[in-house]
Amino acid sequence: MDWSVIAEYYPRLLEGSWMTLKLVILSSILGLILAIPMALARVSESLAWNGLPRLYIFFFRGTPLLIQIFLFYYGLSQFEIVRESALWPYLREPYWCAIIVLGLHTAAYVAEILRGALQAIPRGEVEACRVMGMTKPTMYRRILLPRAFGIMMPAYGNEVILMLKGSALASTITLLDLTGMARTIIARTYTPEEIYIAAGVLYLLISWLFMLFFKLLDRLFNRHQMV
Amino acid sequence: MYQTPVALELTDIHKRYGDLEVLKGISLTAHDGDVISIIGSSGSGKSTFLRCINLLENPCQGSISVNGEALTLKKRADGSLEAADEKQLARIRSRLGFVFQNFNLWPHMTILENVIEAPVHVLGRSKREVRELAESLLEKVGLSDRAHYYPSQLSGGQQQRVAIARALAMEPQVLLFDEPTSALDPELVGEVLGVMRGLAEEGRTMLIVTHEMKFAREVSDRIIFLHQGRVEEDGTPEQVFESAESTRCREFLATAV
Repeated sequence: MDWSVIAEYYPRLLEGSWMTLKLVILSSILGLILAIPMALARVSESLAWNGLPRLYIFFFRGTPLLIQIFLFYYGLSQFEIVRESALWPYLREPYWCAIIVLGLHTAAYVAEILRGALQAIPRGEVEACRVMGMTKPTMYRRILLPRAFGIMMPAYGNEVILMLKGSALASTITLLDLTGMARTIIARTYTPEEIYIAAGVLYLLISWLFMLFFKLLDRLFNRHQMV
Repeated sequence: MYQTPVALELTDIHKRYGDLEVLKGISLTAHDGDVISIIGSSGSGKSTFLRCINLLENPCQGSISVNGEALTLKKRADGSLEAADEKQLARIRSRLGFVFQNFNLWPHMTILENVIEAPVHVLGRSKREVRELAESLLEKVGLSDRAHYYPSQLSGGQQQRVAIARALAMEPQVLLFDEPTSALDPELVGEVLGVMRGLAEEGRTMLIVTHEMKFAREVSDRIIFLHQGRVEEDGTPEQVFESAESTRCREFLATAV
């Protein structure tokens, strides 16, 4: 083993880590924004509201992330409308493609996690909102969503860490994330063990950072359980 | 005898679960300042009736009015009634304080936050003003030193007193109590009944579903005994406890007291 390659290439690996971090953070934010209305639609009693997110979730949970990435990255450019749209400068970039697909993918999972959390709120607490004369928007904004965030926090942290590892697939569309960078370095140096070990350690470090972050969030949303 | 204005009027309330008719036409008029206890064995429909008043349960028939404002109802596909106008329902609910058997405080909010939430975000009152009100209400129920605790740090009796303060913070015209002491350990029942007794003495309009016969007798102006979804006995505590006409009511009281 020749560990000196790590000393030589660690700035590139850090660059890749930064790319991975950006992918995970931006797609998680996108995913959460999309997941909230979907979860709300899923808990609604109306079948019409229920159907659309159900179909969406069925598709994104039921197909491999890799296929979704390929479909989006290679598939969209087949349509002239897309190529002529104002969004094309973004949609042709692998970077934005990866963020969008990862975001759409995680949104399906987060929507289900949030739906479960909303449904896990004891009925009495919801009734307490209703008897006060709260309208539905007030009830969700003020009481139920904050309460559900607390309930879903452990599962949500898990999902983001899964996403971190899923983001390695972005390297298949030429993106130099941590995995992509490692492969590029290896192609040049023929030192797969050293570089993959270094990449693995960096992934561990990033997951550890996320775990810490979610521990803090858990403390924030579930402080009533810490006392 | 002088009668205060009508606070709450329910007419011919029916409620069915499938083929089982749990309320078979109950009417009740409460005037301002009335304290009415609803008693009866479990399954008699008393909690269901109370929950129909603010549409936590949807009755199949009947009408509801609060302070002379009739709640507009419309039929749903399953035959039960729902509010035709959600805004009106919300407004009427905000005038009816409701205290649950299981307190139902919001566990992720402190005691003070629980109390100020609805007046600020439903009635749109200023936070500062409501905070003062909340502090005085917590003092009234004997919990001013617990304002920054979370519900899970409190005993059942304390939680129920907070729930009462939370209902009072809306300054409701009528208070509805759904077996407020049934989930409490025996030694904690007294503190909650003490608070309720104080409210009755202030002249608040109260409807109480309860199993505490001694309390009901002492505090109420009027007792209603429900049996199998019907009003079997309705009168002053003396009438009901001393000389009930219904045999079932006499039997119930003989075992319950």
